[in-house]
Amino acid sequence: MSRSSSSRHALWPYAVALVAVVISLFPIYWILTIALKNRVDAFAMPPVWLFSPVWENFGKAWSSTGFSGAFFNSLIVCAIGNVLALAAGIPAAYYLNRKRVPGRRTILIWLLISYMLPEFLFIVPMYVLFQSVGLYDTVIGLALIYQVFTLPFTIWLLRAFFADIPEALAEAARLEGASTLRIIWTIYVPIAAPGIAATVILNSIKMWNELTIALALTFEKAQTVTLAVAGFRGYASIDWGAMSAASIIIILPMALFAILAQRRIVQGLSLGAVK
Amino acid sequence: MRREKHIRWLIAPALVLLAAGTLYPVIYSGYLSLLQWNWGSEAKFVGLRNFVRILSGSGFPKALFNTFYFAVFAVVIETFLGLGLALAINRIRIGAGLIRTLMILPLMVSGIAVSLIWKVMLDPTLGIVNYLLSLVGIPGPAWLGTVPTAMPSIIMIDTWWQTAFTFIILSSALKSLPAEPFEAARLEGATPFQTFRFVTLPMLKPVLITVIIFRTIDTLKVFDIIFGTTGGGPLRATESVQTLAYQTAFKSYKFGESAAIAVVFSLIILVLCIIYLVIDTDDGEKA
Repeated sequence: MSRSSSSRHALWPYAVALVAVVISLFPIYWILTIALKNRVDAFAMPPVWLFSPVWENFGKAWSSTGFSGAFFNSLIVCAIGNVLALAAGIPAAYYLNRKRVPGRRTILIWLLISYMLPEFLFIVPMYVLFQSVGLYDTVIGLALIYQVFTLPFTIWLLRAFFADIPEALAEAARLEGASTLRIIWTIYVPIAAPGIAATVILNSIKMWNELTIALALTFEKAQTVTLAVAGFRGYASIDWGAMSAASIIIILPMALFAILAQRRIVQGLSLGAVK
Repeated sequence: MRREKHIRWLIAPALVLLAAGTLYPVIYSGYLSLLQWNWGSEAKFVGLRNFVRILSGSGFPKALFNTFYFAVFAVVIETFLGLGLALAINRIRIGAGLIRTLMILPLMVSGIAVSLIWKVMLDPTLGIVNYLLSLVGIPGPAWLGTVPTAMPSIIMIDTWWQTAFTFIILSSALKSLPAEPFEAARLEGATPFQTFRFVTLPMLKPVLITVIIFRTIDTLKVFDIIFGTTGGGPLRATESVQTLAYQTAFKSYKFGESAAIAVVFSLIILVLCIIYLVIDTDDGEKA
């Protein structure tokens, strides 16, 4: 705390950072240790800090009712959802990036409002609709409905990334006779590739982790990972080891994403919030 | 500019999807809210009776109160913590990138995994939290199990989970601030607090307001961490509007009533957003 003269070399920010990092990581570390402990060690009090890891909890979690199937369902939902969001979102973002296009303001407000809607405003109507057209409890149906939140987010974010691309590039290509689609594909998409990557990552995290909609619109066949993990919650005698292992299995892909693509995630999040 | 008029169809796919995904459900929810309809039975038009029922009953007002209780505390705590952490870590030269990466990890964890992790840690007899408290002589409460502690526990869980969001956005906003005003403040001999109050805070304000709006909307829609930990209990102490809407629609199969809850709640959120936006633009004009 001594005088600000040495603020450049102050140590307290490091102390704050250390505490914050420990608090951020400890719960994840703790659930990992429980997943790696045998039944006796997991329940031991005082806790066992040193133990030789066992892997049986992961085997149990993976082979428990529907977990592996749910894992692949979630992968497919993420893939279809991303393709859909980009296919509709890239042209829309290009359109809304132009200042003088009809309906621009209305559509932008519409996008914000769709972010705001509580899930149950569209879940119940979608449940009724999906039941009658056979999309209930299907992976396709789930991916289709996930566009309610992925598409507005995608358009919003890509518009911010497209705004940084000089319009002169598009003008030049247009004079050469390039079509609009060609301009988007050969100029905007490659230049905004990091932004598109950020969008895909953030959308994947959202879809992978989504619970409410999946809970209401799937039953068994199209069950996703979050539902499979939620299944561990209700039993009278909870199998803590398997439950912890299941939590780790669904955290792992997204945690790896976060570590590998920290920059892109931060860039995407802050663009979404700031622009 | 002439040819730009021919790009109208670029927006068409998005509009079709948006209409199907939001416009249709909004209109259909409005219609549903006027029906007495239990899934599987005949629908009957009842006018505003669903609205009267939910507003005069105890379930919805209680859930609304809980939701705001949760949202206000979670947003205030997460905003202050996130801002404080962003300011502190902004002073770090070595390893700031690594620190940011490690600190955003909770944000990648799904709500359901978050609730299971904390359920394990907060278990009154076998959980690590009460064990650690007992080391310093504090008898830990039954956290999620009693009425007075359940909602504060949920707020604590959300704080662990989402502070990274306010932190990361305020952190990038801080990094992008121009250096000149800080130089000027330093030359004029401003104290760190004065610098923060009169230089940093005004420049951060637009981002701060955006962060607060995002977090408010998200916390009002809280579902996963309540569903995964308490399921709304004990004695409805943690029942939120969305868990109530879920119970009403998919446990009691009262679709009309659930739609009425969703409609009223959406209107409340909409009004809040408008108020926020008005405050935001007012200040923008003054500055």
